[in-house]
Amino acid sequence: MESFFARYRNVLVLLALLVAQIIGLAMQVRRTDSGRVSLDPTDSSGVRLIRLWANAIVSPPERAVQSSKTGVGSLWENYIDLRRVREQNKDLQSTIDRLRLEQAALLEDARQGQRLQAMMNFEQKYLYKTLPAQVIGTSGSDLSRVFYLDKGKNDGLARDMAVVTAEGIVGKVREVFPHSAQVLAINDESSGAGVILETTRTRGILRGNVDGQPQIVGILADQRIQPGEKVLTAGGDEIFPRGLPVGVVEKVVRDPDRDAFINVIVKPAAQLDRLDEVMVITATEPRFSPQQRQDLATSEALKGAEAAELAEKKKASEIMAERLPGLTDPNAPAAKPAEKGPNGAPVAPTTTIPKIIPPQHPDRFTPGNAEQPEGAAPSHTAPPKASELQAPANKPPEMKDAAPGSPDTHRPSPKPAKQPPPPTPQREP
Amino acid sequence: MLLTANSRRDLDIHRYPAPLYVIAPTVALVLQALLPRFMGRFAYFDLPLIVTIYFALGRRSPIQGMFMGGFLGLFEDALTHRAIGINGIAKTIAGYLAASVGIRIDVQNTAIRLMLNFVLSLLCTAIDFFINRVLLGLDLHWNWLNMLFQAIGNSAIALVVFPLLDRFQQRD
Repeated sequence: MESFFARYRNVLVLLALLVAQIIGLAMQVRRTDSGRVSLDPTDSSGVRLIRLWANAIVSPPERAVQSSKTGVGSLWENYIDLRRVREQNKDLQSTIDRLRLEQAALLEDARQGQRLQAMMNFEQKYLYKTLPAQVIGTSGSDLSRVFYLDKGKNDGLARDMAVVTAEGIVGKVREVFPHSAQVLAINDESSGAGVILETTRTRGILRGNVDGQPQIVGILADQRIQPGEKVLTAGGDEIFPRGLPVGVVEKVVRDPDRDAFINVIVKPAAQLDRLDEVMVITATEPRFSPQQRQDLATSEALKGAEAAELAEKKKASEIMAERLPGLTDPNAPAAKPAEKGPNGAPVAPTTTIPKIIPPQHPDRFTPGNAEQPEGAAPSHTAPPKASELQAPANKPPEMKDAAPGSPDTHRPSPKPAKQPPPPTPQREP
Repeated sequence: MLLTANSRRDLDIHRYPAPLYVIAPTVALVLQALLPRFMGRFAYFDLPLIVTIYFALGRRSPIQGMFMGGFLGLFEDALTHRAIGINGIAKTIAGYLAASVGIRIDVQNTAIRLMLNFVLSLLCTAIDFFINRVLLGLDLHWNWLNMLFQAIGNSAIALVVFPLLDRFQQRD
């Protein structure tokens, strides 16, 4: 037995190592509801610990390299590369003047955009809190397009925060460590971002292909989609705020798996291969000035008062409609909103009951012609005056207590009115 | 005189200073994580694999080669967002094969080194593909041209790295 282990020691060790790693792999995958196998997007504590150790080993040298690169670059810029400084200064000055003009125009556009945005949707967020970060390393594998930032949990980063540059979106934070963070780039095959084409308004999901190019997948073939069209974030993925630039359409190719669908290859706006400094969107709360905040609060308060007033008017009209069902003519046009009284209180609309045409041959059944017992109030059967039939807005309970045969029982009905019964021959006394 | 496998192994085992076993893999890992930043899509190399092959060939110990390959592979996996173990398995096998081959052939020959790196690079890629598609059942796309470029790049870099590491070899 001993000779067996001695003879096959290498193979046995190889098998043991392979089996251990295969078991470890099996623990990291799971079967989705659709029956497909996928990697668990949230690492287990053990896996996360291994990643933390690896990151802790690699990050310090990467930071050192980054610092030395910055230091050398600074030395070069400050002391060595001083040639043609005067010409550069002159050019830069003219550039600054031009940029100032452009900035003023853009500022005005931005203000107008803010006002329009506030009018259309008050809760829409379009200014965000960002945290600048430096890219310090990559995964080192072209099958995993992730990179590392020099900021981590201690700096306020969290999972699923959007990472952008001034040019466009870059990726999302996939994992955070105390002093660094792992970012999944948008050109990775497992990434996903909701995007929209600016002109055709076609929505789709952006993810990377095998060549590391971002592409929009799952789009029905559309002739209108042409190279050069801008691609923006759609904002539905709860990671990237909407409207951020993604890139431009580079070309449209057929989906190899589905005939009716196309893949839109996107040329990313951000240079994903050469990232240096990026911004992490840490919060999507708007950053308004104190004056703007005050204006917004005032506007919100006014909006609340108007809404309460409208609700009160609506309630009053509903009560009236409930108590005067016969007065509602279904063929009548929609009721006008309640008018405001002199004291500001809502006043129900005044409704006039049409006059009853007096019969040509009245008898004792005719309202108003019945013989009245002595002491009885004639008002119960007397034809009402037009002014009395006007429904007083402030006295609805009286209408409710009206006796049968009172004028309110003769209100015009939507149905065709019944013919009055034929007159009964009166016996002579 | 005809040398048997064991006698050749005893004669040709290379020895290195102990810190080199730590420093060389660490430098390889750091450079592997750092250089793609500057080279972008053209980072067709796998420095940890080159270091694994070098030490497996030099030490001619399959067990040492397996452990070094497994450790470096797991470390590489930990820096990605993929499952930990894919590179580990591939480089474990690469370390074992390199050491096993190193017992039987002359590892100082440049052509053999070039060929070994090329073949083992392709083998690692094939194992990676096999694990992803067959073992894990993941729907992952591959570009074999990139893999070929990586194998060529590894071979070219090994031509520089191997003589560099040879300088640290301890001779009796």
